[in-house]
Amino acid sequence: MTEATKKKSKIFDYFCEEEQFSGGVAWCAGCPLELTARFVPKILGKNMVFVGTPSCSAPVLHGQNIGAWHKLSYLACVMTGVASSATGLSRYYRRTGQDATVVCFTGDGCATDIGFQPLSGAAERNEHIIYLTYDNEGYMNTGNQRSSATPKGASTTTTPVGKVGRGKPTTAKNMPLVMLMHQPRYLATATLSHLEDFAKKLVKAKEMAKEGFVYLHVFSPCPVGWRIDSNLVIEVCRTAVRTNYFPLWEAENGKPHLTVEVASPKPITEFTKLMRKFSHLKEDGIAELQQTLNDRYDLLKKLCDGNK
Amino acid sequence: MKAKQGQRRVLTGNIVAANAARLCRPEVIAAYPITPQSEVAEQLSAFVADGMLDSEIVEVEGENSAMNVVCAASVAGARVFTATSSYGLVFMYDTLLQTAGFRAPVVMVNVNRETPGIHAVSSGQQDMIATRDSGWAQIIVENNQEIMDQIIMSYRLAEDFDIQLPVMVNYDGYYLSYLAEAVELPEQSDVDAFLEPLKKQPGRPRVIPGESTGCGTHGMEMGYVEARYKHWLALERVKNKVDEIDKAFGEYFGRSYGGQIEEYRTADADIIVLASGSAAGTARTVIDAKREQGIKAGLVKLRLFRPFPEERLIQALKGKKAVGVIDRSVCFGWKYGPMCTELKALAPSIGSIPILSYIDGLANLDITIPHISRVVDEVQAAASGKSFQDVTWIPMEEL
Repeated sequence: MTEATKKKSKIFDYFCEEEQFSGGVAWCAGCPLELTARFVPKILGKNMVFVGTPSCSAPVLHGQNIGAWHKLSYLACVMTGVASSATGLSRYYRRTGQDATVVCFTGDGCATDIGFQPLSGAAERNEHIIYLTYDNEGYMNTGNQRSSATPKGASTTTTPVGKVGRGKPTTAKNMPLVMLMHQPRYLATATLSHLEDFAKKLVKAKEMAKEGFVYLHVFSPCPVGWRIDSNLVIEVCRTAVRTNYFPLWEAENGKPHLTVEVASPKPITEFTKLMRKFSHLKEDGIAELQQTLNDRYDLLKKLCDGNK
Repeated sequence: MKAKQGQRRVLTGNIVAANAARLCRPEVIAAYPITPQSEVAEQLSAFVADGMLDSEIVEVEGENSAMNVVCAASVAGARVFTATSSYGLVFMYDTLLQTAGFRAPVVMVNVNRETPGIHAVSSGQQDMIATRDSGWAQIIVENNQEIMDQIIMSYRLAEDFDIQLPVMVNYDGYYLSYLAEAVELPEQSDVDAFLEPLKKQPGRPRVIPGESTGCGTHGMEMGYVEARYKHWLALERVKNKVDEIDKAFGEYFGRSYGGQIEEYRTADADIIVLASGSAAGTARTVIDAKREQGIKAGLVKLRLFRPFPEERLIQALKGKKAVGVIDRSVCFGWKYGPMCTELKALAPSIGSIPILSYIDGLANLDITIPHISRVVDEVQAAASGKSFQDVTWIPMEEL
């Protein structure tokens, strides 16, 4: 049994480090990003170096909110440069024998849009880094604009619903599968409602990053942009898993398997009713959303089954 | 102490640049191929493959990533090198600004080439001009030996504790990148010795795992202004530092280039031609010929373009009767060429003499002996009070 698969009694047993953040960090009320940012270093350890960019995480990770901060080393670079900057750091730390886990910590806008080229390049070169995408399905820091991770039909400030506009006209890039096709050393999806699953994957990620590229895709609903009650965010994460909207799986060397299999998935309406970004959708819009997730889940299932 | 006589080899400018980088022992290299720079990237990869260079080479998927890789590695503490040209230089623009703002001592070769608009795979300095406000030090060299020597000097400049700024070494694409000429390759031990003083400086700030260190912190209001002010001050310090390093290089290796500017027959000259890069070599030939005809002409070769060598230029041009500036690029939004526009800002200090702007050598068109000869004649006429044309696009007049 590897360290990653060993069953532990409590989530605290996975922690190797104390809290790295001070109190009073300035994220929006109910945002899962704060929990994610606090959680990740507890497992990866204090030798992790954050590489980030202007985004929802920047105010806290890169010292804009100077009333509260963290103890980790970090590099805040331009949006086009996250994976490539991490490459530069990781190459030098490895060359000089410095113990470091270099972690890119970016939103879906950076990962799927403007920072995709260097991300794809770093994956192909099998750089020894962890690239963590917190997917809130749009550019939330700048005010809820669409990204290529925004699902079809979602209302955003650049795909607004109006007399003619019906929300985003195209489906989201299936980013975890796009990254799977790079055959990284390790890839996993995770979300905060399934914390132990997330913890195991982080433990594994740290081990695997010593051998090559690791991609983590973390579902991270935005209470402000998606218009969710701030006390319901973890419930939205859980429902995303239970509807198969966001399946939990992992892959070593491009071979995927589900880590949480949902016995009887709930309809997508259980998910969409928790937020208002889909509230304008009529039956056909909802049906299309359901069809898209069914198709994507079937494809993933086939990839997983073909692997057994 | 003097350096040993190095091996003399006939090499292209690109191969010389790769050798110069190798001799400086960069720990991390990232480069993306682009004409006319590709040979530099290839040669460095070959050095690593042959065990002649112990560097991490990152074969990036674009220039923007190349600059990010070397910027971050530099911030972590590495000595780094990259090379690019033209579209590649402008593709890394956001990171070019970031690297300077981070005060990361990156040394980069930029093989001058025309820039997008009209597709042009040809020489010109427009790429360097397009990035002149990026906060980098920019140096232009004239020949292959100077490529070698200036790259070595650039590490002394970039990594100097008082400077800590990225340095861009520019040489003409095609004219130098593919020109093979005899070059003395310094011995490794001598380059090591010349760079040795860098090891005795206080350590620069670095991002170290587990030590609560950071880079790229949001600078709000005064924090931002202070960082900008210090960056600006450091760039001002580059001027004297370039002169000092050039002198130290000359004393050790026996070759020096005048530092910020190189003056040729200027002491008793009435009129000056200002040129840069490989055209300066042609200009020297013209100056000699004109001297034989009794025209007291001199040449100022502009080596340092950023920061602009204000004090040295005033010193060189004070008391002269007229100046002609040859620009290998265009200053969009101003009538004159970029270097001429900047020289005109010094007019109050050098006196109200005629300053004639010439645009020449764009897109691989040669800056020929007749061209420079014509410049000298027109500047001489302007000096004697005749009326003159402000700006002349030499190739357009030859149509």
